[in-house]
Amino acid sequence: MATEYVDAGHAVGYMTLSASVGTAPPVAKDLTYERILNARDEPQNWLTYYGAYDGQRYSPLDQINTSNVGKLKPEWVFQAGSMGLHSGKSTYAWEASPIVVDGIMYLSGWDGQLWAVDARTGNELWRYKHASPFDVSLCCGNVNRGVAVAEGKVFMATLNAHVVAIDAESGKKIWDQPFGDVRAGESATVAPLVVKDMVIVGSSGGEFGVRGHTDAFKLETGERVWRCYMVPKPGEPGSETWPDDGEAWARGGANCWITPTYDPELNLLYYGTGNPCPDFDGEVRPGDNLFTDCGVAVDADTGQIKAHFQYTPHDLWDYDSTMEHILFDLDGQKLAAHFDKNGFLYILDRTTMEPVRVAPFVDRIDWGEVDEKGNVTPKLYPDKEGDPVHFWPGPAGAKEWTHACYSPRTELLYVPVQDLGATATRRRREFKESIPYWGAGVAVDGADQSGYVSAYDPRTGQERWRWTAQLCMCSSLLCTAGDVVFGGEPTGEFNAWDANSGELLFQFQCGTGHHSSPSTYSIDGRQYVVAPTGWGGWAEGFLPAMLGSSHGSAVFAFALPE
Amino acid sequence: MSDTAAVEAALDKQNGVTLGRVLGRGKLGHATDGPDGKMHATVRIPEDELVYEPGVLILPHGGVLELELINDDKNTHCAVLPNNGDTQFLWMVNHSRGTATLELDGPGYYWYSSTTGNDEGRGLTGAIVVSGDVPSEARLDRPQQPRP
Repeated sequence: MATEYVDAGHAVGYMTLSASVGTAPPVAKDLTYERILNARDEPQNWLTYYGAYDGQRYSPLDQINTSNVGKLKPEWVFQAGSMGLHSGKSTYAWEASPIVVDGIMYLSGWDGQLWAVDARTGNELWRYKHASPFDVSLCCGNVNRGVAVAEGKVFMATLNAHVVAIDAESGKKIWDQPFGDVRAGESATVAPLVVKDMVIVGSSGGEFGVRGHTDAFKLETGERVWRCYMVPKPGEPGSETWPDDGEAWARGGANCWITPTYDPELNLLYYGTGNPCPDFDGEVRPGDNLFTDCGVAVDADTGQIKAHFQYTPHDLWDYDSTMEHILFDLDGQKLAAHFDKNGFLYILDRTTMEPVRVAPFVDRIDWGEVDEKGNVTPKLYPDKEGDPVHFWPGPAGAKEWTHACYSPRTELLYVPVQDLGATATRRRREFKESIPYWGAGVAVDGADQSGYVSAYDPRTGQERWRWTAQLCMCSSLLCTAGDVVFGGEPTGEFNAWDANSGELLFQFQCGTGHHSSPSTYSIDGRQYVVAPTGWGGWAEGFLPAMLGSSHGSAVFAFALPE
Repeated sequence: MSDTAAVEAALDKQNGVTLGRVLGRGKLGHATDGPDGKMHATVRIPEDELVYEPGVLILPHGGVLELELINDDKNTHCAVLPNNGDTQFLWMVNHSRGTATLELDGPGYYWYSSTTGNDEGRGLTGAIVVSGDVPSEARLDRPQQPRP
């Protein structure tokens, strides 16, 4: 005889089966654009991706300084782990920069994970999880670089190219807008940026032949404000740098997968744009291929391109220029500093995007020559079908996406450097949506690599000091008014250096590699430095010698003993 | 691998060639649109098979799915299910019936599983496939492109 089923009830959220509190204090409610505009007036907080709109990744906090940084201790650890089958199971990495508002940390992980955390204790307050399709196209792993916070909301881009607004107190979704096409190979890994009443995001997918773009949405409603494509359609300005016939422009790349910086006086967003597509087969896209590999100044209100400078015209080496443009004023000039994948440091006049100074920042460069005005003479590149060509820097670049920093105290730029090459062999292929479109087979050098942290004088382009690492340096750097530079190593060490001399002052082994952006904050006068760890991502591209390293997934908060 | 090949190779059963059942097996099923604006479907765990049936559930589009889950097995299992907001969990003792409300974006597919013991490795890992395209306003402004 059949028996009635036992009532298993209704499924419950996983958070309810954890120690998560479920709510966070309403600290983000009064976080306005004006406060973010003046973020450095609140040194206790880290209010936006780079700490401030200028991208300097500099904090005025100075409790931790060169005399006491050696006494730092881990104060708490937040761990995430991984469960079930998710996309990029073998490539997830913790790449975020934690945001801190009045003692509450907003932190994204990989695979649509978002948490509010008590920044004093590391205890979870709430979590949000956006379900990510298992089969989304990812060039470089299941990663996310962080969130934006404003007006009581936390904004996150999801792997399947949605931007979601989450209630900062409850962790519940308020609105959700798709801004990319996963069927075309688009995804999203960028940390959003709040400017005025908008949240700004950009697309990933430059290895799949998409047309790169950046999008702005209303904070309150998610209504689209503008979209700016970084590859022009036929007839638009810049289209003359693409073939007259065919659809190379439509697959052109130039993705904006790194958060722009912003100059409120000029009302300009400074983007770096990604590689052209196919990455290594330039014969199918003759011309300079604007606005790939560019620094692009975009009007924040309209999304119109106002000025640009192209670092690597007609790129044949996968030299994305997506990385940050650090904004600073020096000797009466409004400048932007950009360390490009191609191995050169560019100091630009950010009112015109014209180069003021160009200098190499890595020892081995043989792909081409770049003069003091930024003019390029290519020398080594994949040319003939099937012919292997080795070049330095490799496609990971002399500096990857991880960020440099600038201290207004020392007036120096600090950069993590990767010195490794690669061999590319051109292999033409047809374009098909969502399938990788590189136009080459690529093998990055294994043992022959080195890395360092360098300080550069933006007035001269000269290196002031160098700290030599065991391996390529591929975590973002952070500098403070304590004249300390912080950053992590691929082998797990979290380091502090003297900003004036490069002397190593502190080191702590976190147990897994650093590929994220540390930040700093204070609570009741006590300064913390926080570093997400979790090795992964596109390691076969930026450091194959560490491809077998353990993944891990932990955020470490350091402070001086009380 | 065709269904026939999997059966002939004894991969689609417990303790055949493999110890458990290779992943991605089970029948194909479809959710239906309901008058409430939500999609509806039922998934069962048959006796001693360690598989969700249907093993692959196809949704016509992204949105909210009201899912009924029935454990017809004589052992206890569970379901850890993808959902925008928070992963959903349902504990299913022998001969039980429960429900889950899931919000999923389309297009793409999502795995779910029973996370007790090694149910996942034995075969209790199912897929939810969301059909369709992203909204037109999210797509690229370019001519239609070739697909594989």
